[in-house]
Amino acid sequence: MSQRDGGVGLLAATLLAALALSLMPLPETLQPLRPHWVALVLIYWNLEGGRLRTLGACFGLGLLLDLVTGTLLGQHALGLLILGYLLERFRARIRFFPPWQQAGVVFALLLNDRIVHLWIVGLAGEGWPHWTWWLSPVVSVILWPWLFLLLDGLRRQARQRSA
Amino acid sequence: MNAPGGAFHFGAELAGQTSRLMLYVLLAIILMTLDHRAGWVDRLHRQAGLLVEPALLLIETPFRFAESAWSGLRSRQQLLNESAELSRRMAEASARLLLLEDLRRENIELRGLLGASQQAELAFHPAEIRQVDLNPFSHRVVINRGRRDGLRSGQPVIDAFGVVGQVDEVQLHSARVVLLTDPDHALPVVIERTGVRTIAYGSGLNTELRLTDLPMNVDLERGDRVVTSGLGGGFPAGLPVGEVADITRPTGEAFARARLQPLGRLDRSRHLLVLETVEPAAPEPVVGEADPVETIDEEELP
Repeated sequence: MSQRDGGVGLLAATLLAALALSLMPLPETLQPLRPHWVALVLIYWNLEGGRLRTLGACFGLGLLLDLVTGTLLGQHALGLLILGYLLERFRARIRFFPPWQQAGVVFALLLNDRIVHLWIVGLAGEGWPHWTWWLSPVVSVILWPWLFLLLDGLRRQARQRSA
Repeated sequence: MNAPGGAFHFGAELAGQTSRLMLYVLLAIILMTLDHRAGWVDRLHRQAGLLVEPALLLIETPFRFAESAWSGLRSRQQLLNESAELSRRMAEASARLLLLEDLRRENIELRGLLGASQQAELAFHPAEIRQVDLNPFSHRVVINRGRRDGLRSGQPVIDAFGVVGQVDEVQLHSARVVLLTDPDHALPVVIERTGVRTIAYGSGLNTELRLTDLPMNVDLERGDRVVTSGLGGGFPAGLPVGEVADITRPTGEAFARARLQPLGRLDRSRHLLVLETVEPAAPEPVVGEADPVETIDEEELP
């Protein structure tokens, strides 16, 4: 299995879909539960697709997310940078973990991302978030296996079509 | 499995990776600081907004279609009920408006007699919140009116219940509205019952505003209504802002604090109004109306 399969088109489409889902309107009560779609897609492409492995890509993606969601410019960028670094650091090990352990790693990464955000939000002088804010990594991890299977399927299809 | 050369120079690659991380982290921190302190990044942000705007519109489209499909599916009975309810409310509101119109005319005449400055006329731009959710910490919403509709930065935004915020960044077809609850937002207000003027600060929580510089002996009670004072010129006077939820007088501190429950439905309104102050036309008509009164007086005197 080569590292660089799955076309650039598929990569762009999944990232665009992740951005759209990050902006999707949700009822007020469900809003804090919104999974961190962009991070999930980034983790998938890094681990399985062998793409988005440079810190520059994480940084750029984070800046884009900051621009569309109107957060402090650099907030998501910092979050994704740290996530990307940790992922790259332990990539060789994470890739061969059994699925449930991999999900654990994803949860830890996303929780860490939340802590980074909390730190920035705290420095910017905003209030302590509601406790439901911490549920987002949980929701993300619940969705992770399905997203994994979906993207794997899409990638296989794209490969078969090009072959 | 690793990147080319990764297995051989693992230590060197790790060091390079770490130093690159530090570089990017530094860059991110610098960006955030500049953005927070609103320097040149502000301009950059606005220009990037031009690029982001079409993307937002694109993302919104499927959700708007879904909503219109959903409204097409609603039952006839439901719509009839809603229509009846709305026409009842409409009748009520227009009756109230008639009374108000009378009062307004009277007020203009009285002001004319007093020689007081004219109150600015208000124009309303109805706007709808776009079907996109921004980050919950940004305390901003995107509305579907922009520069093309004559919006300018700083215009007040209200809903049917009270003040919601003010226009921040304006793009061609959309604009961002800062909500009252943004921690950077401050609004000059007056307590309706006592006339005490103060400033309401955003708290970062979307159900709360703060009054932090009240004198210790201030006359304030739970449930007091707080309205805009019109000082500062940005907002017209008298728009409802919030109700006092509680007041604390911490011992050893110089000021009393109060928390306000905003009256505008910051988190639920879909339909908003952007206010535009129109400079009053030349005050002749009022003077003209006032003059006859004086002449009649003079005629009656002899």
